[in-house]
Amino acid sequence: MKNKRFNLLLIAVVTLMALWSLWPTWRDYSLSTQLDSFTSSQDSLKYALSHREEIDNARKKSLKLGLDLKGGMHLVMEVDQVDLFDQKAWNKDGKFATIMQNVRAKAAQTDARVVDLLSAEFRTENIHLSRYFYDIRNSDQEIVTKLEKESEEALTRAKEIIRNRIDQYGVAEPVITTQGSRKIIIELPGVSDENRIRNLLKGTAKLEFRLLREPEVLVRTLDRINSYLAQNGQNSAAVAGAPTVSDSSTAAPASLPVSVTPQEPVSKQPSAKPLYDVISVSPYGTAYTAERSKEYVVSMLRRSDVQALLPQDSELLLEAKPETGKDGEKIYAIYLVRKAPELTGGVITEAKATFGSESVQPEVMMSMNSEGTSKWARITGANIGKRIAIVLDGAVYSAPVVQSKIPNGNSVINGIGSLEEAKDLEIVLKAGALPAPVRIIEERTVGPSLGADYIRAGMLSLTWSFCAVSIFMLVYYKKAGIAADIALVLNILIVLSVLAGFNASLSLPGIAGIVLTIGMAVDANVLIYERIREELAEGKSVITAVTQGYDRAFSSILDSHVTTLSAAFLLYTYGIGPIQGFAVTLMIGTSASLFTAIVVTREIFHLLLAKNLMSDKSFG
Amino acid sequence: MRIFQKTNFNFIRYRKIAYGFSIILLLAGMVSLVVKGLNYGIDFRGGSEVVIRFEKNADVGQIRAVFDAAGVSGTLKQYGMDRSFLFSTVFQGDTGQLKSLVSNALNDRIKGNPHEIVRIDAVGPSIASDLKWSAVKALFASLLAILLYVGIRFEIKFATAGVIAIFHDILTVLGLFSILGGLFPFMPLEMDQSIIAAFLTIAGYSITDTVVVYDRIRERIRGQKPSEYERIFNESMNQTLSRTIITSGTVLLSVFVLFIFAGPAIRGFAFAVFMGILIGTYSSIFVAAPLVFDWLRITKSSVRLRGSKLS
Repeated sequence: MKNKRFNLLLIAVVTLMALWSLWPTWRDYSLSTQLDSFTSSQDSLKYALSHREEIDNARKKSLKLGLDLKGGMHLVMEVDQVDLFDQKAWNKDGKFATIMQNVRAKAAQTDARVVDLLSAEFRTENIHLSRYFYDIRNSDQEIVTKLEKESEEALTRAKEIIRNRIDQYGVAEPVITTQGSRKIIIELPGVSDENRIRNLLKGTAKLEFRLLREPEVLVRTLDRINSYLAQNGQNSAAVAGAPTVSDSSTAAPASLPVSVTPQEPVSKQPSAKPLYDVISVSPYGTAYTAERSKEYVVSMLRRSDVQALLPQDSELLLEAKPETGKDGEKIYAIYLVRKAPELTGGVITEAKATFGSESVQPEVMMSMNSEGTSKWARITGANIGKRIAIVLDGAVYSAPVVQSKIPNGNSVINGIGSLEEAKDLEIVLKAGALPAPVRIIEERTVGPSLGADYIRAGMLSLTWSFCAVSIFMLVYYKKAGIAADIALVLNILIVLSVLAGFNASLSLPGIAGIVLTIGMAVDANVLIYERIREELAEGKSVITAVTQGYDRAFSSILDSHVTTLSAAFLLYTYGIGPIQGFAVTLMIGTSASLFTAIVVTREIFHLLLAKNLMSDKSFG
Repeated sequence: MRIFQKTNFNFIRYRKIAYGFSIILLLAGMVSLVVKGLNYGIDFRGGSEVVIRFEKNADVGQIRAVFDAAGVSGTLKQYGMDRSFLFSTVFQGDTGQLKSLVSNALNDRIKGNPHEIVRIDAVGPSIASDLKWSAVKALFASLLAILLYVGIRFEIKFATAGVIAIFHDILTVLGLFSILGGLFPFMPLEMDQSIIAAFLTIAGYSITDTVVVYDRIRERIRGQKPSEYERIFNESMNQTLSRTIITSGTVLLSVFVLFIFAGPAIRGFAFAVFMGILIGTYSSIFVAAPLVFDWLRITKSSVRLRGSKLS
């Protein structure tokens, strides 16, 4: 008797908990329908303000909808650890470059840690890591440990910086997590301007101030490249490219392999002036390339044999934004800058997007910390009359001539297309530079209209499958079917409330999981009822039949639930994203059905039996 | 109401016919897998997909021509939703570019029928290979877990036969995917993550069905002579037949609802689960238990079952 009371109490507690956990969801729903029902936006605003706390509370605790139902973006970004290790190395030579290229190619194929790939590659080449990394006296093991730590830190830092950027941009409830050794997963519900988000996320935000070489040097260098290309043919030398990872999302530093497919801007025939077909040099010693040949120029300049022709400690960079040339064509300036930056973005403390004082051009004002300020004063003081390029992620924004010494640590980026872009620059500059380039390797975007369709489809499936299964149970098992249907309702309530209670979100696969659970949850009851029917057929009394039916069916029910649970659990462990949502609802549903079938329906029968409401006809 | 009154089918006697049927089914699937292969979705293949929905009806050929004229390369198919098309192409890290390319081409060349890009998916090649691996791992881990659990609760012969039945079910569905893949425009039957979820669901369901039959055999076989096994196997299967059919029925009902209402994103999954449950029900009666029976008969061993009852 005591045991029975405990069961009843348990059922009551579970039901109340489920209802309590789903209450905010109901409130949230009714409040938003209330808000939508107002005809004027003023009324609804007034209502929203007066019920603000209640609305906020309900929203916070209500059942969350997944990205696919609400619309939004799911991104997986990869931190380029090969680049990170490349930055850490010193003494770099050709051998090192080939090794890194192999590592990069392998890293693109597997999910293994880049550190392991790197050390494996060094081992096969029979070279000690200490030749390029850290101290020559370090053992390979020590270096691997250090690099491991570096890469972990880089991942966490990258995650923090990305979170900063997204917070500053303003997205409600972003979820940012890391996965494995180099992936960052970003979930952004309800994002409308995906393009902007993408631009915001992909840049490294590496800001550098670099001295420009003299115009004569630029012209001489270009001449040299031109004549070299004329002699050797433009397509002869192999492009330094590993298996091509075609990837336009990386703000690529020169070391990245890029699939080179010149978009046929020039004829394939050897030309007397291959470079000057696509680059024009002005009398003032500045060089330009047209927009249509930009890709081609970039790929040509990146060739290792062309790189070798550059003067010591110099690099050719293109302008970030095109200018409009005389004939209305968009052109990009080409700059020859010193490789070593005078100053980097680490010193920037504040950034602000504004409009320039005398123009309508948007710009970003920056101020520096004290160390940066004094360096900046020294640099500008020493280079009056020279040009300093402001370089962000390998592209030149502007290259102003230093007019005078700047003592207060202020600097300005101009040459920005729009105010929106300036705002985004402000965000990324404030959030800081990423330790290594990141790139988008997976993206799933669902528009809000499709999300609404999914919700409708999901609700239809839920309703219909519930109706079909519960009506079937009633028809087939008569009175006992009612108990099974009550158990089914409770089961669905439990699934939804557990999702809401644990702040998990409901996705379309999750709804599919619930629909499937509806079909499977009655299994336990079917097992029991069939057993009871057998016992009744053997001429036992209802009470004995019910008791023995439950007892004898128990071991089957347990075995079958455990096997389903273990399959769902493994699906959850190895599955990703949407599939996990399915696995979670399946797991909760299966556990709940164990409870509802064994405890709930049994109690219902006990109550009915005690009141003499059951007969041997009650099981159909 | 009762669908099955007292049945008395001699399942064991006809098991060889069932074996033959299963082998033919499996062979057909295997041949198709080798010859025709599977359609991989972008989850496993890598690539970009754009779902475009028009306001009014549009013709595939017309849009294809538009893309060709605009130099947008990729394949365009009808999508299993009203007025919608699925455009797939190679992986592009910057889906923004892809989106504007598609949008511009359509805006320029198809007037008076505005479109909306309702979904973009892009999966890089490295992710795709990860997903493939974790799918394979999940499948084998779950088979191993099932083998262990059933092995502990029953006996290794029962467990092995159960896992063979699961293999049978999954391979048959895989074969069906290969044979029917690409035949229906509303249901492309591509292998993606959701199909792996379907396979694991099938595995769970198939073993559930099998375990219920086993459980009844275990209950009745205690202390019986091997000569009685055939009768006991048959009776156990007949006694659980009603339950087997009814639960399969309710699950099939739910999955059928999913197939009809839940839209194209779930349709392949629903199809896989539907077929898997049909075949899983068949295999628990005609494959798993008969295999155990044959195994016992050939090795002339008697059953020593572990822990029969918990309560």
